[in-house]
Amino acid sequence: MKDFGVLRFLDVFRGVFEKMGVDYPVMRKILNVKLILDGRRVSTILSNENNKKKVKEDNDKNNFLKSLWTYVLMGAFLILFIVVGDNFLFQMSFVFGVIIFLLMTSLIADFSSVLLDIKDKEILLSKPVDSKTLNMAKILHIFMYITVITMAISGPSLIASIIRHGITFFLIYLVEVILIALFIIILTALIYLVVLRFSSGEKLKDIINYVQIGLAIGMSLGYQLIGRIFNFIDINNLEFNPSPWKYFFPPLWFAAPFELILKGNNQSYIVIYSILGVLIPIISIVIYIKFIPIFERNLQKLNSAEGQTKDKSKVNIFISKVVCKDEEERSFYKFATSMLKNERTFKLKVYPSLGMAIIFPFLMMFSMNRSQISNISNTKNYLWIYMVFAMIPNILAFLGYSGNYKGAWIYETIPIKNKAAIYRGTVKAAIVNLFVPVFILVSLIFLIIYKMQIVEQIIVVGINMLLFIIIEFKILDKKLPFSKAFEVTEGPGGYNIIIGILIMGVFVLGHYILTRIPYGAYIYIPVGLIATKAVWKKCIS
Amino acid sequence: MESIVTIRNLSKSYGDKEVLRDINLDVHKGEIIGYIGPNGAGKSTTVKIMLGLVGDYSGDIRIFGEDIRDGKVDYKKKIGYVPETAEIYENLTAREYLTFIGELYGMKYEEANKKAGKLMDLFGVKDVYDARISSYSKGMKQKALIISALINDPEVLFLDEPLSGMDANSVMVFKEVLAELARKGKTIFYSSHIMEVVEKISSRIILINNGEIVADGSFNDLKGTTMDSSLEEIFNQLTGFNEHEKIAKEIVATIEEVI
Repeated sequence: MKDFGVLRFLDVFRGVFEKMGVDYPVMRKILNVKLILDGRRVSTILSNENNKKKVKEDNDKNNFLKSLWTYVLMGAFLILFIVVGDNFLFQMSFVFGVIIFLLMTSLIADFSSVLLDIKDKEILLSKPVDSKTLNMAKILHIFMYITVITMAISGPSLIASIIRHGITFFLIYLVEVILIALFIIILTALIYLVVLRFSSGEKLKDIINYVQIGLAIGMSLGYQLIGRIFNFIDINNLEFNPSPWKYFFPPLWFAAPFELILKGNNQSYIVIYSILGVLIPIISIVIYIKFIPIFERNLQKLNSAEGQTKDKSKVNIFISKVVCKDEEERSFYKFATSMLKNERTFKLKVYPSLGMAIIFPFLMMFSMNRSQISNISNTKNYLWIYMVFAMIPNILAFLGYSGNYKGAWIYETIPIKNKAAIYRGTVKAAIVNLFVPVFILVSLIFLIIYKMQIVEQIIVVGINMLLFIIIEFKILDKKLPFSKAFEVTEGPGGYNIIIGILIMGVFVLGHYILTRIPYGAYIYIPVGLIATKAVWKKCIS
Repeated sequence: MESIVTIRNLSKSYGDKEVLRDINLDVHKGEIIGYIGPNGAGKSTTVKIMLGLVGDYSGDIRIFGEDIRDGKVDYKKKIGYVPETAEIYENLTAREYLTFIGELYGMKYEEANKKAGKLMDLFGVKDVYDARISSYSKGMKQKALIISALINDPEVLFLDEPLSGMDANSVMVFKEVLAELARKGKTIFYSSHIMEVVEKISSRIILINNGEIVADGSFNDLKGTTMDSSLEEIFNQLTGFNEHEKIAKEIVATIEEVI
């Protein structure tokens, strides 16, 4: 079997793992298999054409690498905060805040399924493998990917830090970044552990989804806090008041050692922060290892027999009749709706982006315009509502995936007259069940902020959202809905998102120009509706 | 006779739903136990508890004389398991998967590889040893699973619907293998819904219904007490089911019905 370099590196720490009570050779074997599996793609019944296969596999492998470039790009912005001055506490807590934010969101969205996997249990725990070893393998598996992502984010600024601040700075930075990656993984695992402990059965799956949304929102808010912890005067002349609540703010813990070591600043709060930054990650690991058996036991709940759920199909059928005229399209609408609502893996991936989509417009609006909040209703700041669009490319791409991707054989065996009906029904289901609710919620808040003065603008945005969805869907390479397996190493993202953001920018610009034209919105509404209808007919077929 | 598995007062509930009620059982060396019962009766749960996959039960279980509760995993070295759900890492080849499982059981790679290869050959699937399991037919996959359960030369085998998807010839071979293993003193737990097979191969039949053991004995014992001639009839009678004809008629009527 293939032996991975990473594993040979891991061998160095063998003693540490054995001290923790992990069966090292077994863990190494599990990791080896996991890494092999990651490199391979699930071939579904539908993609069995052998000729294409070879080419496709190469493409798929690069997907993880492709998504890394997005992180590198985001990481490049951090250089600014590294080079700008010498106020390490501020600069570095900002940098770490960003890193924690990015890591946690990626972890929640992409790696929750690994953490909450129960297939492993069935195969591995029936063999002489104890749950501690299996869990350590799982954590390390995630850790490897998170480390790569972390390096992609922090890489550019790490290099900049050598040039700007020297090698000691670089080394502290490097160690801190690794500590953070570990800390974030364990923290997420611990949160799941608590959730799993205190709830049971079917409810649990929903709760996990809510926790994810909550985390996503909480992280975004925390990100905002960094700026407010300091009283802005200028970058090299910031005031910092170590008020008690700031001890609960992890980015500060990790930023403090720079002050302590490089500047010899040994004020008590700096020392305490630094200690926390090292101690908490270690303590969390110890706690986690202690609780692993409980975690495993509670994980079983995820699979336990499902209670009867209330039949909500009447509402669903009614809506399907309203939005779909075609019979076939209607069936796929209903099918997709049930999948969207019930499939756990899908929700794990998608719900966090929904949460972000709700919070993002406000976040951007208020952080960009702090001075104008009092008279915001006279400005064009409502255009920030377009940030809602940011969720769309990702979610549309996810429509092609499912935890039960093998069920996709039905597309081949049932006589479908018009394949376009599959896509139309599914996209409509996503619009009705995912995009519209989020949009309505966000719009309502905007309408309240603007004292109901921008109804026509909101309608314009709504029409544009439909247009945007259709255009995005057209651009995506189409997979039959729910027909591919979710995998760690791949996922939509990368270019897709960047193109999406560009198109979004065009919409914002267009809307801005529209507001300059008298009665522009009122003229646009009927035109936009007709255009949407035409584009829909043309594009999704 | 030596007792391999001892279960005393085993109960298990999920929330307020009781799935196992006071199960008591002694399993001896060389027995083939037909472990049967309707869907949801608690068969799989019993097996999963014995394998340490499900915890939080009350009562005592000893396997090879050892209490399995304290999270020890060593006893699993002498156990083979073919789960009903047939979970398997499908993107691995059989060679990779089987050697991996063998190594988990503490075998050397070479030893596991040799044994797995030979067994694949004997089961007539040697030619796909290096193909990904995802490309296998159901029967081939089942054979790989069975090999993964036998590779460590286990003392106790837990088989849950092991024949599913296998062709008649392979079934014949495998049934003979089970009989031979039992003669060599291995203990086999055989769970299935195909009564004809259970009737033929089991030396002892345990019928579980609603989380309780409702019958325990050889096929002849059961025949004697219930006056039925086949295991299927015994099963129907003991689980209180006698309406199959009526239900079947209704089903067909419904299929033909124009709604």
